[in-house]
Amino acid sequence: MNSVVCIKRVPETAEATLKIDPANRKLEVDNLVFGINEADNYALEQALLLEEEFGGEVIVVSVGPPETDEIIRMALAKGAGRAIRISPENLSELDPYSIAKLIAHELEDEEYDLIFTGCQASDDGFSQVGVALAELLGIQHLSMAVKMETEEESATVNRELEGGLMAQYKLNFPAVITIQTGLNEPRYASILGIKRAGSKEIRVVEPGSWNEKMVELNKLSFPPPGKMAEIFQGSPAETAEKVCEVLKTKGLL
Amino acid sequence: MSKEIFVIIEHRRGTIRDVSYELLTKANDFANNIGGSTAAVILGNELDEMVQHLKSSAHKIIALKNEKLGDFHSEYYQEALKSIIEERSPLLVMLGHTSASYDLAPALAVAMGLPLISGCSDLRLEGNKVITLNQVYGGKINAEYSFETEKGGIITLLPGSVPAKPGGLSAEVEEVNVSFEREFEDKVFIQFVESAAGEIDITQAEKIIAIGRGIKEEDNIAMIEEFAQSIGAVVACSRPIVDAGWLPKDRQVGSSGKTVKPKVYIALGISGDFQHLMGMRNADTIIAVNKDPNAPIFGAADYGIVDDLFKVVPAIKDKLAQL
Amino acid sequence: MSAGDLEKHDVLSCIQCGRCTAGCPVSIRTTFNIRGTINLNLRERKKWIQPQDIWSCTTCHTCASRCPKGVGIVDYIMGLRSYQVERGKIDPAARDALESILKHGNPWGRVREKRSDWIGENKVRILQEGESTEVLLFVGCTPAYDPKAQKSAQALSRILAIAGVDFAIMGNSETCCGNEVKRMGELGLFEMLVEDNTNLFSKYKFNKLVTISPHCYNTFKNEYPNLGDKVIHYTQFLVELSEKGKLKLSNDNEAKAIFHDPCFLGKQNLIYEEPRTLLKAVLKEELLEFDRNRERSQCCEGGGGRMWIEVDSDKPRTAEERVRDAHYYGAEILATSCPFCLLTLSDAVKTAGLEDKLQVKDICSIISPGEGEKDGQT
Ligand SMILES: Cc1cc2nc3c(=O)[nH]c(=O)nc-3n(C[C@H](O)[C@H](O)[C@H](O)COP(=O)(O)OP(=O)(O)OC[C@H]3O[C@@H](n4cnc5c(N)ncnc54)[C@H](O)[C@@H]3O)c2cc1C
Ligand code: SF4
Ligand code: SF4
Repeated sequence: MNSVVCIKRVPETAEATLKIDPANRKLEVDNLVFGINEADNYALEQALLLEEEFGGEVIVVSVGPPETDEIIRMALAKGAGRAIRISPENLSELDPYSIAKLIAHELEDEEYDLIFTGCQASDDGFSQVGVALAELLGIQHLSMAVKMETEEESATVNRELEGGLMAQYKLNFPAVITIQTGLNEPRYASILGIKRAGSKEIRVVEPGSWNEKMVELNKLSFPPPGKMAEIFQGSPAETAEKVCEVLKTKGLL
Repeated sequence: MSKEIFVIIEHRRGTIRDVSYELLTKANDFANNIGGSTAAVILGNELDEMVQHLKSSAHKIIALKNEKLGDFHSEYYQEALKSIIEERSPLLVMLGHTSASYDLAPALAVAMGLPLISGCSDLRLEGNKVITLNQVYGGKINAEYSFETEKGGIITLLPGSVPAKPGGLSAEVEEVNVSFEREFEDKVFIQFVESAAGEIDITQAEKIIAIGRGIKEEDNIAMIEEFAQSIGAVVACSRPIVDAGWLPKDRQVGSSGKTVKPKVYIALGISGDFQHLMGMRNADTIIAVNKDPNAPIFGAADYGIVDDLFKVVPAIKDKLAQL
Repeated sequence: MSAGDLEKHDVLSCIQCGRCTAGCPVSIRTTFNIRGTINLNLRERKKWIQPQDIWSCTTCHTCASRCPKGVGIVDYIMGLRSYQVERGKIDPAARDALESILKHGNPWGRVREKRSDWIGENKVRILQEGESTEVLLFVGCTPAYDPKAQKSAQALSRILAIAGVDFAIMGNSETCCGNEVKRMGELGLFEMLVEDNTNLFSKYKFNKLVTISPHCYNTFKNEYPNLGDKVIHYTQFLVELSEKGKLKLSNDNEAKAIFHDPCFLGKQNLIYEEPRTLLKAVLKEELLEFDRNRERSQCCEGGGGRMWIEVDSDKPRTAEERVRDAHYYGAEILATSCPFCLLTLSDAVKTAGLEDKLQVKDICSIISPGEGEKDGQT
């Protein structure tokens, strides 16, 4: 079973102080640490598990700058066979449609049973590339997979709906499946493994400047502080006191 | 170009989902501003009852009927929507940013050559441009995206972006019997599956203490359970806690978990990503404890404490003990 | 493990006497039996055995110090672990800790920009490249980020300031020492940290490298190139200061205290006296001792990656036993000098329900209590 996994390099922003560049178009990345997008890591693991079970090859594809090789090498260390990195010049301006298009173009000559992507990227949160890619390639897709039972040519997949409900589908291959976090337990890429993976192929594609996008990013800004909460100041003992007051006035104690 | 706004109605097991009324509210406002109109597009098999519910919320209702449309299936939905959109060329197609649109919107956009902005919380028209507001980087930054409306376009709106209001309209209903030229046998919907039920029902709870990744370790949960018990609350959590196997799935609050409306929701070490906020933003009182002053949870909370939860929780316990 | 590797660690000379398992703190709590593991491996010399329970090992070194044949048991265990690490299938918590070290330079998943937030109001100089200092204080990941352990960093910097020591830290440039990384069997990452840190150290001039954690001490002292003589644990350094008369210690602390020897300070580096000297200098009453002290000290299960890896067991943690013992001996303060011990033991005080009776404190916090700690609160 051959699978393609699309992965994205994203900054870890949960705890970091974010800065926007003077043109209000990009995040300043100097102080940020990057890694593989969380859901993509589960997608990669799913592909590797299938390779272990059914044989075949796992091919990693990423649209990103040269630094993306860091996460690609990790994927190769974990067991992917080879990788394709697509690095257009105007990368930061591209919309999900363009990303899907670039990937679809590179997959034309590949043979695959399944294409995995994460269900959502933690940076822009669009959740578009996987499903758009399926449409461009003219194959089936299913998004937000939380459970997957695979056979040679098909899989039974539960996709996540709201409110703890799942919808179960049967899907024939070839297909694109976008993976939700929690589907499996991603493995670790050791440093020696990453070094050894240095000999595996990363094919670099440089399509120059890409002009087919349909959506523009106008600007980035920080959310207005207005709707912020009333922040209790003081020592833990003082703030705790105020919490208790709130609970008391609401009749909750 | 028409000035009609299509709102794709979402329903499950015979009930229209709340997000659809929010979408209609937003769409009606938008249409008013530009002197346009709204059409609620509902796809399904037995639609009469749901159509009645929609009547006051749009200028027009387009009911696309076929037995294949009974349960959501992105391929049949896509086929049906593609032909009606091609035929009517609406200015804009709006969907909820929900599991259904994750599966449908990107493919529909590609199939029709239309621009798509997913997950926006607001939108406006400027000249011939639709401009949206999106929350990116886990809600820490706002982004404005835009597309030209020459050919139309698609947006998906985050659930909870606007409170649903009664529309006060009376829609004319147009029924269309759809036929499909092909069957999608390579993707077959089998059934709905409920996640396993546990003994505690957080949706019924009056007081919830919710923990997130800030709890750091499974062992720390015991302390929270104890705290919760002391005030008669139940412990819920963000999804990473469930992923880690620290609490069962039915304790998860958020878009892929439960929606809760307790009198008080105390969020400890939860950053407040929108998927989480969606499950708890309607709580009467939200108190958040987070070390990061910029954590988006403070945007949803009524009261906040910027501090280490491992300092604040013991302090609250102490205070409660004194009462 | 191959015969060659077994030979490297002297495993082939094992006589299966079982002294190792008999002293092992986790053999009582888990299925892990180090003698049994060696036995299995001696029977299957060509194969890599992959027992999961080797992750129970705290790398405390009790076994190795008891072994009559000098088998390199702990290195052997690290070798077995590294085989599993290379295959990527390790405990998710261990995985996250290792990934965090690679990304953020600490195992706690915290961002680098907050590494020196512990300083707060304290006056601590942050060394710039090319600058020199007499003492470079290596804070360590846990004292840098963990609120409980931060108190040790704060206390120690207060003490150094009062003693007029010329000291500084590396601020947010400081990176994990790698001691636990190596013990989790991630040898590649360890090598990388050694290289990066050696590089980093070369950018500053200093005469002494003082560590708060015995774990940092251990690896800098014994496993880094060209650092050995400069490395000194803070308990040793404070004794030096007090001998030179720079640090005045007065024995006015009335609490009854007992000392828990951290494995990486005691068993592994034979530093037994200095912590006791310091405690005796500040305590009014005689310092209490555990029956199992010094080289027989019971491991708190904080080492060898066990800060992140949980083991299956229905028996209480050894730390819980330890705090109960401390209470039994009549101690009000359980003193230690290791951030991991501080955390495991403090936690155990809670699980043992001894919160009102026993406090766990780092020696530097006993010497220099922080805000609100002076009258006995933590
Ligand atoms: C399709 C989809 C559906 C999803 N559904 C859900 C869902 O239903 N529910 C859900 O919760 N998530 C859901 N998620 C995941 C969601 O995007 C976030 O990843 C998740 O909510 C983050 O959880 P968190 O806040 O616990 O963790 P983080 O985002 O990591 O935040 C941890 C927070 O804790 C704070 N913190 C750390 N230590 C401390 C301390 N000692 N004291 C105080 N504060 C501290 C940090 O500052 C940070 O803000 C979904 C994601 C996707 C893609
Ligand atoms: S103590 Fe040494 S010789 Fe005895 S069983 Fe253990 S490893 Fe073998
Ligand atoms: S190092 Fe400690 S925990 Fe590990 S096997 Fe030896 S005695 Fe047991």
